[in-house]
Amino acid sequence: MTRKKNASISATLATATCALLGTAPAAPVCAQEIDRWDFDTSLLYYGEDNSRVQDASIGLLATRDFLDDRSLSLGLTVDALTGATPSGANTQPVAQTFTRPSGKSVYTTPANELPLDDTFRDTRVALTANWQQPLGRMYSFNVGASASKEYDYTHVGFNARLARDFNNRNTTLSAGIALAMDDIDAVGGAPTPLSPMLDVGVLSNRMDSESKDVFDVVLGVTQVFGRNTVAQFNYSYSDASGYLTDPYKIVSVVDGITGDIVPRPPTPGVDGPSHQFLFEGRPDERVKQSFYGQVKHYMSGKVLDASYRYMTDDWDIESHTLDLRLRWPLGSERYLEPHLRYYTQTEADFYTVGIVDGQVLPAYASSDYRLGNFDGITAGVKYGWKTRNNHDFSIRLELYQQRGDIPANLLIGNQAGTVSYPDLDAVIAQFAYRF
Amino acid sequence: MQKMILRVAALVAVVCSTGCSSLGVEPWDRDILAKDEMQLVTDPMEAATDDHIYFSKEASSGGRGFGGGGCGCN
Amino acid sequence: MQLSPNLPTGSESLPRLDKGARAWELEPHGHFWRASFMAMGSPCELLCETDSKADAQMLARIVINEAWRIEDKFSRYISGNIVDRINSAAGADIKVDAETAGLIEFANLLYEMSDGRFDITSGVLRKVWTFDGSNRVPSESEILSIMRHVGWDRVSWTRPVLKMPKDMQIDLGGIGKEYAVDKVTGLLREQTSVACLVNFGGDLAVTGPPEQQASWQIGREALQGPSASPSSLIQLQAGALATSGDTRRYLLKDGIRYGHILDPTTGWPVAGAPASITVAADTCVQAGMLCTLARLRGPEAESMLVDEVLQYWCTWP
Repeated sequence: MTRKKNASISATLATATCALLGTAPAAPVCAQEIDRWDFDTSLLYYGEDNSRVQDASIGLLATRDFLDDRSLSLGLTVDALTGATPSGANTQPVAQTFTRPSGKSVYTTPANELPLDDTFRDTRVALTANWQQPLGRMYSFNVGASASKEYDYTHVGFNARLARDFNNRNTTLSAGIALAMDDIDAVGGAPTPLSPMLDVGVLSNRMDSESKDVFDVVLGVTQVFGRNTVAQFNYSYSDASGYLTDPYKIVSVVDGITGDIVPRPPTPGVDGPSHQFLFEGRPDERVKQSFYGQVKHYMSGKVLDASYRYMTDDWDIESHTLDLRLRWPLGSERYLEPHLRYYTQTEADFYTVGIVDGQVLPAYASSDYRLGNFDGITAGVKYGWKTRNNHDFSIRLELYQQRGDIPANLLIGNQAGTVSYPDLDAVIAQFAYRF
Repeated sequence: MQKMILRVAALVAVVCSTGCSSLGVEPWDRDILAKDEMQLVTDPMEAATDDHIYFSKEASSGGRGFGGGGCGCN
Repeated sequence: MQLSPNLPTGSESLPRLDKGARAWELEPHGHFWRASFMAMGSPCELLCETDSKADAQMLARIVINEAWRIEDKFSRYISGNIVDRINSAAGADIKVDAETAGLIEFANLLYEMSDGRFDITSGVLRKVWTFDGSNRVPSESEILSIMRHVGWDRVSWTRPVLKMPKDMQIDLGGIGKEYAVDKVTGLLREQTSVACLVNFGGDLAVTGPPEQQASWQIGREALQGPSASPSSLIQLQAGALATSGDTRRYLLKDGIRYGHILDPTTGWPVAGAPASITVAADTCVQAGMLCTLARLRGPEAESMLVDEVLQYWCTWP
């Protein structure tokens, strides 16, 4: 058997194959590798009851995968917000009149109704960009930027993350940092914290635009526990500093015995607040730490996703979040995914329902319900289906409920009967299309 | 509290990178783990939407990734 | 239409169809029908672009019957077939049929083209090498003693008669799957003008481009297994793809990774070869052989591919 040399391998192979198969190939091979774009679009409606906040939003996320595991993703979201939000003032048995944040006019809340501030938060546009690539064989690297703009708030942020695989890629350790620089340009100017709400046209206690910086660090480990199970554990540290107060939220000045709102003598010829209100003031720093764990488990086609997060901060707020999802396939093209989320938080140490008239002002005070003591429950279901050309549709409908209570030690006199946490009922509806 | 947290985190990281060397699967057994629905974040759009809603309505944010935020809601 | 090598987990749409102990399944998949079954130790599938379940069933039966026929005829695990008769001949002459002669002639040519590195008598090396991810590597003397029974040049082949010394064995596993893919594709072309894709465990070929989309789209994990990155796609309009990879079977000792393709001239696994090679060619046999020939060159795999192949993809470990 002689050995042939210097003949082109593929030519010889082509002839040999012809002889083996007994026919020439039907057509020459035609193959190319392509990069592709993936698009994720969504339409969202969020609506609270009782004329409170409503939000409609459209989102687009475009991801392009390049060769060698590199990818770029770009996101755009546009939100349109309307509706009113609790201002921090309490329901009282008398009508209350407030000056609007702009300082240009007043609005009145009837007796026995929860005062809502409908400062118009119109449209928000947000952009994100993210680049991911491997670094050598075992590392991967992520860098991203984000920006958003609404009429009274501007945000710019950067983030970066490094991850390394261990144990045959069964364990991944990651570390990430993020920096955000936000500017707040409140309508009428942000008020000096804990200064009184003044008459129409008086903006003497307003400041220039404010800023807020947030620094985040996230350390994480992801571990494969078997063919069907993967879990993740993250530790996050966040430090926000600067103007952390909500410029539109107020705190009531109340009588030390009855707990009722204290009236304010009107200025002749000028509209103004009917009672005494102070603008809220929060500390200029907030350090938060979170511990987050998530497990995903596959059980003959169904996927269970369970996660828990514990958060604690130096405003004395503690929260627990438990989130459960079960993806239930219906055949090979459709699925149903019920979802349950339970959230509970305790109030900030400067949370109050009223500042007692005549006493020395505290350093910080806020009646914002979002810093209060409440439970939030979300229950919903998502239905998804895959089209003939492999595109994904899904719709989800969820109900979100907040029920809270004011700790007894914060209630004075009549407040036990009149003041309560402004419970929230909201609906979340989202339609998504991936292609 | 801080020290204990750091110790626990360090222990978890060490255990996972050494003690977990017997945990895990061979590359050819990653078929289920590769499925879309088994990714830690299956739907980034839905996750971002929810993160934003809860950031606006609650005092906590983030956990899974960065803190979220970047809006005037909280 | 993106492919994956995994059999569907529960096709609720149709009952399973059994042929004795071997089962196959047929289910709709977008505007295709997909038949899946096991053959030659791999998950196999046929995708045909038709709305007619009856047509799909007919084509599936053709594909599956031919795949199982080839497996039964050339598998070294089935007693009484031609390969078994050759391997038990103990030095006697064996006269083979035309199809077997064709394969042996082809193996002969590949032996010469690869300077002896592609050798169908090298199968006996698996007696000392078991690739189970452990670190049990055989000793030099174990390998020397088994190498006495390896070497196509010890075999006498004058078509159609084969005479092989005692204790030598042939194994057609290195050509069998690709050959089956091409035979099956040929049969499909004779039967129908419907666009079909045949995928036997990552070795695949198409009868032509689909009508309702520009081309067949094949994800990397269909070729390299689930650990591959799913990010890029290969668009295939005509021809075949074959993949050779050691992600599934290897040994790891002292930090050195021994892939499962053995060099018959040394008795040791090929060192320094890519973790995975995918080649596109006119037929699956050509694609598969180019993959194997490249891999047998170890670190020089890519330079051979650059010279010989228009489209290939190489991943290094």
